[in-house]
Amino acid sequence: MTTNLMPDDRRSLTLRLSVLQYTVAGAFALLAIGFWIFQIAQHEKFREMAENNQQRRLPLPAPRGVLLDRVGKVLVDNQDTRNIAIVREQTKNVDVVLRTLAEATGVPEAQLHDTLNRRRREPSYRPIVLIENATTEQYIAVRARSLELPGIIAEPVPARRYPSSDMAAHLFGYVGEVTTAQMQRPDYSGVEPGSIVGQAGVELAYNKMLMGIDGSKTVVVNSVGREIKQLDQQPPDIGHSLQLTLDSDLQKATEDAYTAAGFNGAAVVVDPNNGEVLAFTSRPAYDPNEFAAGIKPAAWNALTSDNLKPLQNRALQSRYPPGSTFKPAVGLAGLEEGVITPNFTVHCSGSANFYGRNFACWKKGGHGTVNLKTAIEQSCDVFFYTVGNMLGIDKINKWATLLGLGVKSNIDLPNELVGLVPSTQWKQETRHEKWYAGETISVAIGQGQVNVTPVSMAVYAATLANGGTRITPHIIKAADDGTGLKPLPEPPPQSKIDVSPEKLEAIRQGMWGVVNGGGTGGRARVEGHDVCGKTGTAQVVSNANRRLLQAKYKDVDYRDNGWFIFFAPRDHPTIAGAVFLEHGLHGPNAASVAHHILATYFARQDGKPLPPPPTHEDLRLDYKDPYARAGGGATEGGGH
Amino acid sequence: MFERRLYFHVDWLLLGAIVLLSAVGVAMIYSTTYVTTANGGHPGSQPVTQLYALGIGLVALLVCLVIDYRVLAEHSLFVYGALLVLLVFVLLKGQTQMGGQRWIPIGPFHLQPSEFARIAVALILAMYFGENRRGAKNPGDLVIGGVLTIIPLLLIAKQPDLGTAVTLLPVFVGVAFLAGLRLRLLGVLALAGILVAPVAWKFALKDYQKQRIQTFLDPEKDAQGAGYQTIQARVTVGSGGLTGKGFLHGTQGQYKFLPVAHNDFIFSVLAEEQGFVGVLGALGLYLFVILRSLEAARLAKDRLGAYLVGGIISGFAFQAIYNVAMSAGLAPVKGITLPLMSYGGSSLIAALASFGLILNVRMRRFTN
Repeated sequence: MTTNLMPDDRRSLTLRLSVLQYTVAGAFALLAIGFWIFQIAQHEKFREMAENNQQRRLPLPAPRGVLLDRVGKVLVDNQDTRNIAIVREQTKNVDVVLRTLAEATGVPEAQLHDTLNRRRREPSYRPIVLIENATTEQYIAVRARSLELPGIIAEPVPARRYPSSDMAAHLFGYVGEVTTAQMQRPDYSGVEPGSIVGQAGVELAYNKMLMGIDGSKTVVVNSVGREIKQLDQQPPDIGHSLQLTLDSDLQKATEDAYTAAGFNGAAVVVDPNNGEVLAFTSRPAYDPNEFAAGIKPAAWNALTSDNLKPLQNRALQSRYPPGSTFKPAVGLAGLEEGVITPNFTVHCSGSANFYGRNFACWKKGGHGTVNLKTAIEQSCDVFFYTVGNMLGIDKINKWATLLGLGVKSNIDLPNELVGLVPSTQWKQETRHEKWYAGETISVAIGQGQVNVTPVSMAVYAATLANGGTRITPHIIKAADDGTGLKPLPEPPPQSKIDVSPEKLEAIRQGMWGVVNGGGTGGRARVEGHDVCGKTGTAQVVSNANRRLLQAKYKDVDYRDNGWFIFFAPRDHPTIAGAVFLEHGLHGPNAASVAHHILATYFARQDGKPLPPPPTHEDLRLDYKDPYARAGGGATEGGGH
Repeated sequence: MFERRLYFHVDWLLLGAIVLLSAVGVAMIYSTTYVTTANGGHPGSQPVTQLYALGIGLVALLVCLVIDYRVLAEHSLFVYGALLVLLVFVLLKGQTQMGGQRWIPIGPFHLQPSEFARIAVALILAMYFGENRRGAKNPGDLVIGGVLTIIPLLLIAKQPDLGTAVTLLPVFVGVAFLAGLRLRLLGVLALAGILVAPVAWKFALKDYQKQRIQTFLDPEKDAQGAGYQTIQARVTVGSGGLTGKGFLHGTQGQYKFLPVAHNDFIFSVLAEEQGFVGVLGALGLYLFVILRSLEAARLAKDRLGAYLVGGIISGFAFQAIYNVAMSAGLAPVKGITLPLMSYGGSSLIAALASFGLILNVRMRRFTN
């Protein structure tokens, strides 16, 4: 039954087997060539592709340094927020991924495209944040659909957390993505695009210390993106923590008092012995938390288009006439220049004539015969018109400058503007005109050409308090580079003069009387403590101009500004400062605000419970407009 | 039945090569299914399963070796009938896994009858063309042989498992070619195939099958979808380089960028971990096995033996070449396993059993 092969068959079979042999051998040769092409000729390309498949470099953002108050209480720290980002090189079809992401998160697809387009020139391996501060729902949705979202990463990132609402907003500043202009500056070298840097306040001034250095880790992931193992890790270098000189209790008291008063403005409170800033505010403020995870365009537009300019740091960047708070400077100049003695008197009849022009005192009936102490207490304009006229503008300028006005305080916060105390030289240089002696009269009561910033007013108060040392206000006390808090060197004073004690005493007595002797600043009085101060009510425009302007611009606020400068206790002051109320109508209103700050300061010093935040009624503010009272008289006059 | 002197005629070299390839397969399965975790890792369960299959397969090989192939061929109709029954059974009652109804559960095992179809078809075709004295010169005989092949092919394709189904065609072509199929006719068949292809494209192929062919032609078009496997196969192979990433150090298969790599893409993993050097070694072994088997066909005592070996080895060679090409992204992705190496008990057992037959033919070249 078996069919053995016949010779013919055998020959044909052998031939056909050979055909099969060669066919198979040929096929294998082709396969070998195919593998040679992929494994040898194009190896490098495929090796990279395999590496991209399975290796991910994940940034480990460095948390910014924490900000502490002067006793170590945390003021500004970080909290994890979740950003959703895309790594384009891991995404073959960006459009599809963005569509899926939009579906999963509810963020409009067009918005995602816009965000991506803005940074499309960056290398494709760099994560680009599409959704900042994602909600938990968005985060979970993205994680759940990670298979459909190749290249989308959802990682927790540290974001800034500031104290509730807008406390000390301008002091802390805010953070934001590094700008292209910043990137080009040498001190920003090594900062990657998209990094979060300080953009204002302490955040900006101390950015380099606060920022730290981002780390990274390289991980192996499988096809569904699960991390399998870590290849290497460069831990982030955490930013330095900074201890501020800020006193949280005083800061809160300041904010509370402004909130109760309802006025805008600025206040700076310092230790007159070393320049440490104890409290610092600028109103209206903003919420720095809105910037922490990227400010929404609508919120940014609202801030920048607000006529009240909430982003402006009024303490450093706004200049106002000091009004009557300037009078102690004029008085001290008169004493020091030997123009007057403490016993020098002037008779105030309600107005006085200088160079053919009538200058009114704020008190229509006049103060009668006043000496320096009474003149300061009662803020008599005529007395200081007279002394100013005797001094001349250049001597006023000299002493105002030595006390800290019309010069920069050099506080360690960015973008401080310089105020102005005029001089003959200044007028010659800027206006190419001669200074007229008649112009000095208004300057003597802090009106006219004088313009100062609230921070320089705090320095002025401190210089009067410490007897001539123009301290440099500063906000940073110590820094922690990871090895514990180390005090930073105190900035040296800007200048130092020795005011003779008896001359200083004359000024101080006047300022004590302002608060304690039935003067204009009685509301700042704190029982059992010798508070010294000076009120100032300064016109925004002259009465004559105000009438014309108010008719034209109905919505513009031309009400007077209110000032109060203070230091305490009288003999060995440990606190000094300036409170400024924009359109606050009266200096005494500012004294009401200062009162809460001082009451808080002394309550703590005495070990008493801190006073509760004042109500609006507690402040007993005076809303009567002196302009209306004066009937818009044509004469120039000062406040009190 | 088994004479002692036959022992000396067993082709130990071929047997050695087969066992070696199977062992390499187990090792590659071990590496591919190794579970890496953050703190070390542990082997998967698949290599053990494959080792069991290897043991059973060697027993099957022995059985197919000791029984004279001529006795087996006499019962080829019975074997063929049994196959058809099983295939019909699978269609009616089989287990569904990975998109196909292919398995019959037998205790802890899952039998995949389609893997044994090549043996049954080779046996019956060798029997038919070997015994009829006319070989395959007569178109009528060719049609009968074709029908014998088409019936199980259609049953398997219906599962659907087109990949395994088409591996029956080279068995038929191999046997028919050795049995004297006129080359002109082969040409006509090829031409007919080309003409039928567009019709088949339109009516016979399922959407996923069309998609696989389309994406093979342009994998980048759908890189995250159907083209993914083709691209990843190339990345896997190409990233291996000359000497490979080393045993257990492959990333593409282990981290599942290449899906179910231990199955259809086992050769990709070998190329990744052992490099071009390993590829040449494995290809060399496969080539040796095929050429050595063709040698057995040449040495066969009778036409039955020669055709049987020819049919089996044609199917084997086609499978191996296609799978290796696919594993480098050089052919469209099809469910065609790499015989001897791919994970899968039925596939390994069937492959070993079929080599039992080849060894059988060579061993009995001097017997009557």
